[in-house]
Amino acid sequence: MAMVSTVFINPFSQEAKELVKASGDLDRIMEEDARLLNIIEYTRGQRLDDDSRIPGSLWEFAIKRIEWYLEKKGYQRYQPGYYRFLFNPQIAEFDVITFYVLAQAIGAKFNPNSRESRIFMESEAEIVKERLLRIESRERERVISKILREMLDSETPHWTQLEKLLENRRIKLTELILKDGEVILDKSATGRTQQVINAIREKIIPALIVQETQEYLYKVHEMAAKIEPHPILTRLAEKIRERISREFFIPKKTGARTIKASKLDFDAFPPCIKNTIKGVRAGNRNDAIVLLLTGFLSYARLYPSVFKDRKPHKVSDFDPTLNITLNEILPMIYEAADNCEPPLFQDDPQEKLNITAKLGFGLHETPSLENEGETKWYTPMSCEKIKIHLPVVCKPDSLCEKIQNPLTYYNRKRWQKKRKNEGGDKDIPRGNTRR
Amino acid sequence: MRGVIRIFQEATPEDRKKYYTREWKPEKIPAFIRENIHLREFGFDHTGQGPNDRYRFFRDEKLLKKFLRYRAPYAAYSSVALYDKPWKREGWISSELVFDVDAKDIPVRPCGCDNVCEECLDQAKEIVAMIIDTLRDDLGLQEIHVVYSGRGYHIRVLDPTILRLDSEVRGQILRYVMGGDVPRLLYTGLDGRMRSLDHFMAPLGYPRVFTERSRYIILHLSGDEKIEDITRQTMNKIMEYRDLIESDKWGEFKGVIGPRVYDRLIGSVAKLNLQLVDAKVTVDLKRILRLPSSLHSKVSMICTYVKDLESFDPLEDAVPDFVKEGS
Ligand code: SF4
Ligand SMILES: [Zn+2]
Repeated sequence: MAMVSTVFINPFSQEAKELVKASGDLDRIMEEDARLLNIIEYTRGQRLDDDSRIPGSLWEFAIKRIEWYLEKKGYQRYQPGYYRFLFNPQIAEFDVITFYVLAQAIGAKFNPNSRESRIFMESEAEIVKERLLRIESRERERVISKILREMLDSETPHWTQLEKLLENRRIKLTELILKDGEVILDKSATGRTQQVINAIREKIIPALIVQETQEYLYKVHEMAAKIEPHPILTRLAEKIRERISREFFIPKKTGARTIKASKLDFDAFPPCIKNTIKGVRAGNRNDAIVLLLTGFLSYARLYPSVFKDRKPHKVSDFDPTLNITLNEILPMIYEAADNCEPPLFQDDPQEKLNITAKLGFGLHETPSLENEGETKWYTPMSCEKIKIHLPVVCKPDSLCEKIQNPLTYYNRKRWQKKRKNEGGDKDIPRGNTRR
Repeated sequence: MRGVIRIFQEATPEDRKKYYTREWKPEKIPAFIRENIHLREFGFDHTGQGPNDRYRFFRDEKLLKKFLRYRAPYAAYSSVALYDKPWKREGWISSELVFDVDAKDIPVRPCGCDNVCEECLDQAKEIVAMIIDTLRDDLGLQEIHVVYSGRGYHIRVLDPTILRLDSEVRGQILRYVMGGDVPRLLYTGLDGRMRSLDHFMAPLGYPRVFTERSRYIILHLSGDEKIEDITRQTMNKIMEYRDLIESDKWGEFKGVIGPRVYDRLIGSVAKLNLQLVDAKVTVDLKRILRLPSSLHSKVSMICTYVKDLESFDPLEDAVPDFVKEGS
């Protein structure tokens, strides 16, 4: 396999900076570049059936770079075949110029703490991780060693050189191996120890690059306060903002049939959920709480229209302070866990971590924003799966026939109840037969 | 019996006066404080109710001396931080990195006494020695000073590399040095699969620190402690088999008590590890600490700079004259 240039991973290397300095001026980034197109065309596995998905200019490349991340996070529409070129090392030169164009556009127009900056940094971390992963392992080790020397002057830097990473929690001190003040990141160990160190090496590279990216954004932002940025950067920033907010756009409720998040309505819960809350016996207990109830309650409370909107989200998109999650949703889940026989956490305390993970916050005792995204927010189990894995809780009633998921049951039932209440003749008691 | 009778008893206002006029000398303040008295905030407790008299500032040691002789405070403190304007706590320059080991608050105390005694003071000393080893060997720090506080020890690090670190990074140092996180040693095996390694299988860096601290905790359990997530039965089992840990057979120990119980145990032990010190002190950049050379009136002992930890004996070296004379 060919040697991979570190420029492909590290936009802050001397080589990368020189490449960028030598590149053409910003006015030309919208021009079509035949060399770029050529590389994309010859990238293995690249889908070429839709011209609009292939960037012909640096401008388009910049947008695709962000789009890749947005779509990857929103796994439903993600079609990796259109983005293969991002992982072709031959693209390195174009990629690094694009990186700087993006960083300058975003840094000039948005605050370094803005959503746009955050997404740009996250996307950079993700690109770096994925690129590293795709390099064959011996070559990968060589590239990592080289980048460590580029960024830290050594493969055994003093731990205080990582101060900014620690300060921003991009890495924890307890994840590192220290000796005499040095962080051991080189290849001098043997066996499993070296494999553990290799894992640290792989983790620290994206952390370092994101840290540098953030500092670069700050620098650009400061500059932009003094010198008017190039108009093309302003335009690009605007375009990126548009693209990102499209991803986060939550349709406004229109008409009576839209599904809106609000306090949980116990009465509208389907039988399986009511049964789970009452408590489940040992055999089905863990799955009922961790897989069924956690997904159901969190989506029912925060994002009941998930199957209709089909847009993946994070819990914090609806509950930015996690107030609802910590004070409404989790207490209900924990209570149900306590109702089990024997109480769930008594013999399986680690299930707390699994619950946190299913909410999208990684394997931690409780959800916290800094860990969000380590895992995915699991959507509620379908009736089909419940019938297979948790038959004891599924006691279908007549509404169950019309739906395939307990969450849909909940939404329908709430809508029915609402219609009934708005129906006017509220005083007239209705029999159960009326539906 | 080394005058033990009057130690650990409260000093009277007369004792205090005696101490500050006859015994106390500015030379007893360690050099790292003496040379920048004018940059530190001082605080005093005059009544025994806590250091309510704060934001004190002394241009030089003569003024401090005057104040101490005249007021003979119940307790005296100075900041771990240096400031341009210490009287306002403004213009922060730097802060020492501090670890506070209080014998009374050690979570595992076989002595079981209700204040402090020779045994738990010794324990505190052992813990201090472990912490210093890690600060030196792992973090590569120098300029580490130890002060006997009256009921335990303060470790005060003045290594230039740490003086300006923020609270977050200090918190991370704390977790490293104390063994506050269960190590997660993930790696990709040769077959490309993710695997994990137990902390005791990696005797280097942080995993080793964690193993050492955990070992300390487990070997000092009395068996009566209530530990989160650990049942009575499990506790009995731990006590029965902890010899295995003493002889470093962690794998065997894990096998005997069961891997799931083991995971729960070390999760709880990690929390206890952190309680070997007062975590709040380490992350607080503006903390005031008992002034070395001052009198700890509650127990009638002198807060003393420790020149040599190994030979230091608080019941010998931190006892004021008025106690020695009185016994
Ligand atoms: S059909 Fe669906 S909603 Fe009804 S009980 Fe079964 S799983 Fe629950
Ligand atoms: Zn004791």
